[in-house]
Amino acid sequence: MNDWPRRFEAELVRLGLQPERAHRLTAETAAQAGEHAADPDHFFGPAHLYARHLVAELQVSTLEEKRAAAGKVMLRLAGVTKRYGRRTVLTGVDLTVRGGEVAAIVGANGCGKSTLLRICAGLTAPTSGTVQRTRRVGFVPQDGGTAGWLTADEHFTLFGAAAGIAPRKARSTGAHLASLLAWRPTGSQPVQELSGGTRQKLNLVLGELHGPDLLLLDEPYQGFDQGSYLDFWRQVRAWRDAGRAVVVVTHLLHELQHVDHVLDLGGAS
Amino acid sequence: MTPRPWLHGFLDLCLLAMLRERPDYGYGLAQRLAAAGVADIPGGTLYPALLRLEQQGLASPSWAPSENGPRRKYYEITPAGLGALRAQADEWRVFRDGVDALIGNEMAGEHTP
Repeated sequence: MNDWPRRFEAELVRLGLQPERAHRLTAETAAQAGEHAADPDHFFGPAHLYARHLVAELQVSTLEEKRAAAGKVMLRLAGVTKRYGRRTVLTGVDLTVRGGEVAAIVGANGCGKSTLLRICAGLTAPTSGTVQRTRRVGFVPQDGGTAGWLTADEHFTLFGAAAGIAPRKARSTGAHLASLLAWRPTGSQPVQELSGGTRQKLNLVLGELHGPDLLLLDEPYQGFDQGSYLDFWRQVRAWRDAGRAVVVVTHLLHELQHVDHVLDLGGAS
Repeated sequence: MTPRPWLHGFLDLCLLAMLRERPDYGYGLAQRLAAAGVADIPGGTLYPALLRLEQQGLASPSWAPSENGPRRKYYEITPAGLGALRAQADEWRVFRDGVDALIGNEMAGEHTP
């Protein structure tokens, strides 16, 4: 007998299931493979991946029940057009996102997804059209605004200061938010020594540090491994269920079942 | 056999429909899906779906011994499950008729000289 059940159970517990429930699910899962006279590793795949898949499925079903009705409007774009010289990047874009909703911006590379997100954030002005947004906005760009020679803690302090958060509170909030993405920042390591995926986690934490009502995310999972990727979408659902509005630029169409609005910008302009 | 991305949207519907006929356990449901020609469903898709139905209160589990081997977890459809089944079956019919209409037109087009 291999140690698949032990690893499966350990991962379920690490993902936050009650130990008793994890134990029960592990026994059931082993029995299910037995029904098919199959080895669990062969039948379900690697223990940790199946554990994450199962937990994600279970969370989707409970979150859907618990979902609150959509709240007040956090972002409203009306007739937004953007031209650079003679080149038209965006034409007549309308989008309304309320608290408790997730919107996805999709489309081919070069169709203006990132430009639109910057317009949502107020970092780029539209050529015409109107943008209304709530006051507290978190923006996570694709190539983050991090400084390579500073540590994660120093980033928390710095970004916290910009939002009027005391250094100690900023650091503890940062550490907590990092833990939700299964990341534990180490004290003295400068950010330039982190992997690409971990730097993206830092970006996400920084975008969220001040508890914004509207989160604008530009494919923030580049370089994530499978587990972190699931953690990320779980986090998106948690934000949504907490009544925040989330806008995600993504090219991963299979995630669209989890979102409320899809804005398809189509092909490259 | 239906490719998996399609099945994903209709798996709950298929499971509920089979459970309306009679309570069953995982392996039995997998066999019935395969026999119906709907799908050869991987365990990693089937069992999470059953757990979801259980958690949403659409199916209620009970344990029963088997003639040979360990006891089995049987699922029975609940009143909420019957309601969900009716709603999803309606959605499915609208979808199926829509796709049929599109395919029908295309086939007719092919036969037009």
